[in-house]
Order: sequence, then C-alpha cells, then structure tokens
Amino acid sequence: MAEKHKAAPMVEEVSDFEALEMAVRELAIEKGLFTADDHRRFTEFAHSIGSLPAARLVAKAWLDPEFKKLALEDGVKASLEVGIDWLNPTGFGTPSDYTDLRVLEDTPKVKHVVVCSLCSCYPRPILGHSPEWYRTPNYRRRIVRWPRQVLAEFGLQIPEDVDVRVEDSNQKCRFMVMPMRPEGTEGWTEEQLAEIVTRDCMIGVALPRPDVKANAKRPVHKAIHPVEHH
Amino acid sequence: MSKSHHAEKATGKGDPQMFKGEAGPAKFKVGDRVRIKDLPDLFYTRSQVYTRGALGEVAVVTHESPAPEDEAWDNVDKPEWFYIVRFRQKDLWPEYPDAYANDTLQTELSERWLELA
Repeated sequence: MAEKHKAAPMVEEVSDFEALEMAVRELAIEKGLFTADDHRRFTEFAHSIGSLPAARLVAKAWLDPEFKKLALEDGVKASLEVGIDWLNPTGFGTPSDYTDLRVLEDTPKVKHVVVCSLCSCYPRPILGHSPEWYRTPNYRRRIVRWPRQVLAEFGLQIPEDVDVRVEDSNQKCRFMVMPMRPEGTEGWTEEQLAEIVTRDCMIGVALPRPDVKANAKRPVHKAIHPVEHH
Repeated sequence: MSKSHHAEKATGKGDPQMFKGEAGPAKFKVGDRVRIKDLPDLFYTRSQVYTRGALGEVAVVTHESPAPEDEAWDNVDKPEWFYIVRFRQKDLWPEYPDAYANDTLQTELSERWLELA
C-alpha cells in the first residue's frame, strides 16, 4: 500500500496542476512505467540545460562561416559542436523535443520569431526550459496574428523595411533564432559574444546588444485577490 | 521492463530520423505553390484552423514521419513527408496591414494536408 505523500516543504501552496503531476507520476511509478530514480535523473538532466549551448552555437556561427553553414543545414550536427547531443539522455531523444533542430537566420531583410501556437514546443535540449510567458495562450494566440504588436510589447519595434517571419513550430521540428550580430562587438571572443545572446534573442523577442547580458525582467503583478487553496 | 517499440526503433537514430526512407518520394518540392486542405480532423490534428484553405509556398522539405493524426493513435505504419509552408500574413488575416505586406508566417504540415494550387 503506497504511503501518503506530502507536498515538498518549500512549496507554500500546491496548485491543481502540481497535484495532478504528483498523482500521474506516482501512478506511473506504481505501474512500473518508470522508476522514481529514472524520473529524478531525467528531471535533473532537463533542469541542467541553460541557454548557454545555444548562445555558443550562435556566437560560433558569427565567427566561423563554415560552422554557420553547418548550423543552418543540420542543427543537430551543429549542436554536437557545442556539447549538445539531441539523442541524450535516452539514446533516442527526449519526449516531445524530438531530434530535428532548425536554426533560423535573421538577415537585414527578415526577422524571425518562434512560437508553438498549439502547445509550447521549444528546443529544450539546447536552450533549456521555456519561459512561462512563452507557454501562455496570450503569447501563442497573438504572436501568430499580431506579431509586430506583440514584439513591441517586448520592446522590439521592427522597421517597415524588415519583414517579420513567424515560425509556428507545430510538428517535430524545433527552432531557434540566430539573430544578427550587433554593432559594437568587433574583435570579441566567442565567450564575449555568447554572453549577449540571451534566451529571449533566440526565441526572437529580443535583439542582442553589446551592453545586455540578461533577459529583460517580466515582473508579475501581485494578485489583489489571490486564489485560496484548500 | 521491456523497451517500447518506439524506443527500440529510435535508439541511436532519433525521432523523426527513425522513419527515414519509409515515405517514398516526396510529392512536393521547395517553391511549390500549395493550398491547405480542410480535411476532417475529428479527435486530433496539428494543422491549425488558420491555415485551412490558405495559399502558401513550400519553403522546406523537412522529414518523414507518421502524420500526427495517425501517430496519436499509434498508427505509425505509413509515414509521410512533412513540409514547412510559408504564407503571407495578408493571406491569413483580413486586417493585416498593407504597410507590412511582406510579413510571413511559416508552419509545418504533413503531405496529406497539401495540394498543388
């Protein structure tokens, strides 16, 4: 008989989705679909990935035209050169990330932005976890139809002579944006360049700047009438 | 516990690479003008309603895989070719401004959803 499981102590309140996750995970472990250890290892693996590998891919491409060509032709092969094997950790890839990365090259004529309007598909093996806003219907519904307006909300105003191209990643391909290298970075090393290629730049909602090394903050308003959890 | 069929077939190759060669020749090629069919999509689809009936252009021929409408039910015997189709935003949304007439949206659809325009 399974013992009663308490919520992890650092969580002040448990949302319905967290309760659902615990229930499904515990049931799956009971049924033998995977072990608790499998789950822990997988969670640790997924959480260990940040945006640095993808930033390094972009920085490398900026510095090396041959690598840029590879990155645009075969994203999975190019990922190996920044230490990311899309087949990890199972030997056949992760659930729902698949193994077909495509890199979208911004040009002076075209600015890309990525969304998954159906759910929240994202190139996690090389970019880490997606931000909360990327998963919201607010972003997913609006960016496909009003991209310039939504980009403006992120502080990005794309000039009229640059075309905006939305990539709706609805199948097994996963996409990241290779933004244009900004002015003021002449002579920089790969490390210095990678530092300014933030996660938001590779989703397409920010442009790299020589003085910006972090994603813009997205502060959340405190609820005036917070939901009570019983 | 025995590995699933998917794991056995995909190990060392990845998904969708595991289906390479199974779909036969691709019906469409880059540059083809295509229209998105409004197929019946009872229960499950990954073809957005906003693409149905729209005119686009094949931008990339990506890979072979079972269509999601089949894969969702574990019917993986007949993989199809997949295509990234590019649309002019003006052709998708009635209010899209003329000032941004060159804006595009591209998304991926399996072969069954496309017909030559």
